[in-house]
Amino acid sequence: MSRLDTVGDTLVLAPGDRRWPAWLDLLQGLSGLLLVLFMWAHLFAVSSILLGKPAMYRVTRFFEGSLFFDTPQPWLVSLVALFIFVIFVLHTLLALRKLPSGYRQWRAWLVHMGGMRHEETSLWLVQVITGLVLMFFATAHLLELFLHPSNIGPHASAARIASGGWVLGLVLLLSVEVHAGIGLYRLIVKWGWFGLVDTAARRRRLRRFVYALVAFFLLLGVTTQMAYLRIGKESAVRDGLRYVPPGSAQIVPPLSDEAPLRISQTGEEVKR
Amino acid sequence: MDTVYTDVLVVGGGLAGLRAAIGARRRGLEVLTLSLVPAKRSHSAAAQGGMQASLGNTAKGRGDSEAIHFADTVRGSDWGADQLVARLFAETAPKAIRELAAWGVPWNRVRAGDHETVINGERVTINEDPLAHGLITARNFGGTAHWRASYVSDGTGHSMLYTMSDQAVAESIPVHERMEAMALICDGERCCGVIARNLINGTLVAYLARATCIATGGFGRIYRVSTNAIINEGMGAAIALETGRAVLGNMEAIQFHPTGIFPAGILVTEGCRGDGGLLLDADGHRFMPDYEPEKMELASRDVVSRRMEEHIRAGHGVRSRFGEHLWLDIRLLGAEHIRGRLREVQEICRYFLGIDPAESLIPVRPAQHYSMGGIRTDFRGEAVGLRGLFSCGEAACWDLHGFNRLGGNSVAETVVAGMLVGEYLADFCHSDDGALPGTTTLARDALRREEAQLRSYCTGEEQESPLRLQQEMQTLMTERVGIFRHGDTLKTAVEELQALLQRAQRLRLAGSRRGANPELVAAYRLPRMLKLALCVAEGALARTESRGAHYREDYPQRNDRDWLKRTLALWSPGADRPSLSYEDIDVMTMELVPGWRGYGARDYIDHPDTPRRTEDLKRISETGVQGDARQEQILPFRDQLPPSFRSPNERLFSGEESL
Amino acid sequence: MSEDEILARDTAVHGAATSGEFTLEVLRCNPADPEDRPRWQSFTLELTEGMTLFIALTELRETQDPSLQFDFVCRAGICGSCAMLINGRPGLACRTLIADLPSPTRLAPLPGFALIGDLSVDTGRWMRGMSERLETWVHGLDTERDPARLEAPMEPEVAEAIYELERCIECGCCIAACGTAQMREDFVGAVGLNKLARFHLDPRDARDDGAYFDLVGDDDGVFGCMSLLGCDDVCPKDLPLGTQIAFLRRRMARQAL
Repeated sequence: MSRLDTVGDTLVLAPGDRRWPAWLDLLQGLSGLLLVLFMWAHLFAVSSILLGKPAMYRVTRFFEGSLFFDTPQPWLVSLVALFIFVIFVLHTLLALRKLPSGYRQWRAWLVHMGGMRHEETSLWLVQVITGLVLMFFATAHLLELFLHPSNIGPHASAARIASGGWVLGLVLLLSVEVHAGIGLYRLIVKWGWFGLVDTAARRRRLRRFVYALVAFFLLLGVTTQMAYLRIGKESAVRDGLRYVPPGSAQIVPPLSDEAPLRISQTGEEVKR
Repeated sequence: MDTVYTDVLVVGGGLAGLRAAIGARRRGLEVLTLSLVPAKRSHSAAAQGGMQASLGNTAKGRGDSEAIHFADTVRGSDWGADQLVARLFAETAPKAIRELAAWGVPWNRVRAGDHETVINGERVTINEDPLAHGLITARNFGGTAHWRASYVSDGTGHSMLYTMSDQAVAESIPVHERMEAMALICDGERCCGVIARNLINGTLVAYLARATCIATGGFGRIYRVSTNAIINEGMGAAIALETGRAVLGNMEAIQFHPTGIFPAGILVTEGCRGDGGLLLDADGHRFMPDYEPEKMELASRDVVSRRMEEHIRAGHGVRSRFGEHLWLDIRLLGAEHIRGRLREVQEICRYFLGIDPAESLIPVRPAQHYSMGGIRTDFRGEAVGLRGLFSCGEAACWDLHGFNRLGGNSVAETVVAGMLVGEYLADFCHSDDGALPGTTTLARDALRREEAQLRSYCTGEEQESPLRLQQEMQTLMTERVGIFRHGDTLKTAVEELQALLQRAQRLRLAGSRRGANPELVAAYRLPRMLKLALCVAEGALARTESRGAHYREDYPQRNDRDWLKRTLALWSPGADRPSLSYEDIDVMTMELVPGWRGYGARDYIDHPDTPRRTEDLKRISETGVQGDARQEQILPFRDQLPPSFRSPNERLFSGEESL
Repeated sequence: MSEDEILARDTAVHGAATSGEFTLEVLRCNPADPEDRPRWQSFTLELTEGMTLFIALTELRETQDPSLQFDFVCRAGICGSCAMLINGRPGLACRTLIADLPSPTRLAPLPGFALIGDLSVDTGRWMRGMSERLETWVHGLDTERDPARLEAPMEPEVAEAIYELERCIECGCCIAACGTAQMREDFVGAVGLNKLARFHLDPRDARDDGAYFDLVGDDDGVFGCMSLLGCDDVCPKDLPLGTQIAFLRRRMARQAL
């Protein structure tokens, strides 16, 4: 659809529907909100390890479709990862259009921020930096999950984290929590929900609340990571054994494709 | 030479200028406005408290009428006003307020039911009629018989100016901002436009127009302590004076506002007292009732200011490092009222005094506020002595205010005069006189003269900072041509002003910065300001009586016999002082004959015509004629109104009271 | 009253007594001179009591550098002429007390507007352009009603609510404090959006949401705003800019849906 538009004094044929900007703004917020909610749920799921290996195992199985299937269906995880990745890309593209373009805009922005010494203005730079970090790290993370959906579990995850994955995890955790917190705050301010932002004092209170939320999730995330790290040091995991819940007898896929299959009869850990 | 042609050139982007521009534009003329600053920065925005118009919607305004507004205005002016103009004004003021209401001004409205308010220091309850709910309300102001000042919180002028300015944008009226009129282009008989200087890049431009209207506001900045904006230097009036044809009227009539914040001189509105605020002295004593038992804090401004200074002289002032002052107490109005209706006052107190007026007293002392005088015009706004030149608003001596203006009548005058003069100057443009004579040579000559004048500041012999000389003038005016005046001090003031003018005309500048050059601006404005100051001082020296804001300690009586007249100041080219002449104010055409104002001094010397005119009026009353027929016999004015403004004003409650 | 008592009382009324030297660094530039490059110039002046930036700059021009350019009109915080960057943040110079500032303090012209010289910028042209673009006047047939007739009634609360938003003085602080406006020249800024919110509130304005959408329903309008709310925090009139922009965004989004 095209429309006539004026540029200065001349009429030009302008492409597109004039409702686009509104849609894009809405979609940016909506996709962001979805990612925030997913990410929090995801962190809670992952942190189930703090309640013990069986809890985490059950959560993993739940996502592999334990409600409907008898056997684990890792492709479900791939599907979710794909879905999130699509939203993630959409959100990234929508957010990128807000970035300064070129040296002149970047300079203007940085000079502006330096002079203003204004919390919310400075937070936006944090948002840009964490966003750029996420562009790479979250992509990597999502890709890995998409390609190796079965590599999730009390031992599998621990092994990944212990074998250097914690570096990626920590960076990812920090950027994603900060980005999500600021983003959620910005979303509330942007749309003026619940009259939370009607005065500077209310905004300050909301900011403090959001910071506390971020701190909570960071703490939760770090504790979780440490738990995985600890598990990762266990000999079984170092030996590449899958976690098998007590009392079950089943075929356990090995941690690595090369390892031969063994059947566990007793619920004891199975050696390669 | 850059030349711009237009039908109507309005100099000044405040309320008066913009409304005149809109009026002329709507009559099909091409209009262009020049402004020293962006139009919305004009000093009209500083009017806080309200605009007078006899709507009579509020309970305390019930029974108000044009006639009563007219009478209050004339009494306020100490009979210096032109009564025809005052009538035209009072008749048009309600239309002005309603027009602005339709254009978007959010006037405060009447709320039906009981309200608590403060009158004479006491809390009373007022009941508003449900019929009036939602109509424009009003507050009390000084020197009025009814509550008549319509308002928008205490940002009345701001709201009016923004609405007017946006309306001018809606009408596609170009405003050439940061353009200063430097000289009128005139052939001795007729004004054909102005030479203007671009304040951004320093270039000169010739604007040629069929009619030129000066609406540049007052000249308060010739005083040191003034509520006026920095830009109120009276340049419009000064360049009219410099033609040697146009005359300035009543320049000695300078108003001092009772409540300038001490010592900065920033205004706090009369609405503070109108809403119930009190004046206190060093002992916390409310002193105004001792002097003015009738109107107390709400006598006219000249009276209150004089009483305040009198009280300080009697030793009751509050001593401070900056000098003495008095207190304004609005604590009794309550925090909620102050927050809602006196917001700007609260903000000003917070930023400039560091206090909250809901809890603390405000230090105040009278400060120069308004110039009743200006370019003398007829009731059409056309300058006396120069055809094609019009003027309206504070820049003009239209003569609505005589020797003292009532609070709330200035913003009212700006809009009303703009409405009327806009029509009259459109009439002029459409008349045979309205064609623009061949003036290119004239414009070129005028431009060259200005160029030469500006160049002369590189070669003058007086190496002195124009800003320092300006300060000298301001101090001198505040100290010697202030509220209390005396022949001796006025004489020395005149001499010193003349000496300053001599030096100002030989100035040499320190630098020669390209483009906008603030030093150059100060240099060329200084002699013009000094000329205005001389008109004020000489007028004050010559007027050996006291009338309105002009108070002579050596002649404390109002003297209608010798001085019921307007001072006219003319400045012949090359002269070093103005020549004064006088224009009689004819008692025999007055609707309201001179008498006691209802406040202030009671003794005055009568004009010989006063008893005769009183007899005339009595005779007319006895014939029993009423309404318009009676008005026709006393002071006919309706036919002088532009046709579009002739219909009588509708009123919710009418005919309950007459003059 | 003793001198001490007077001093004590004065301190309560006029703020703390201050004295000593104060340094102002002013970003100088004269665009009319092609040779001139922006540079910081340092001025030292003697502090006096109750000294505002208006008083200080006027004194500098009078006693030290007559070519120093800046704009003051009302010097009472109501006209909006004197907005500038005071230590990097936009504010009205006329009502900024020197006593509240650190020495040295840096003054720079407001960014986002055409520079006239030194601290003087052309906000007027920008604001006029905004008014023309957003048509910031009441639209409707009733604007031409006969002024001799009784005015149309309006609820007192509505009139007061309109005035709340009409208190804007177009000083330009919100533009200078806006990250978006710094990057995108055509952004209407908080001043423009607040103005439209004011007319949206006004029952006299006959425009519907569709008409408003055509004016600000894009990335130069309300959807360009990134909600950093520098505008809200520096507004000298304490206007509820954040709330108003959010309100318009909701209305305009609904319009797009």
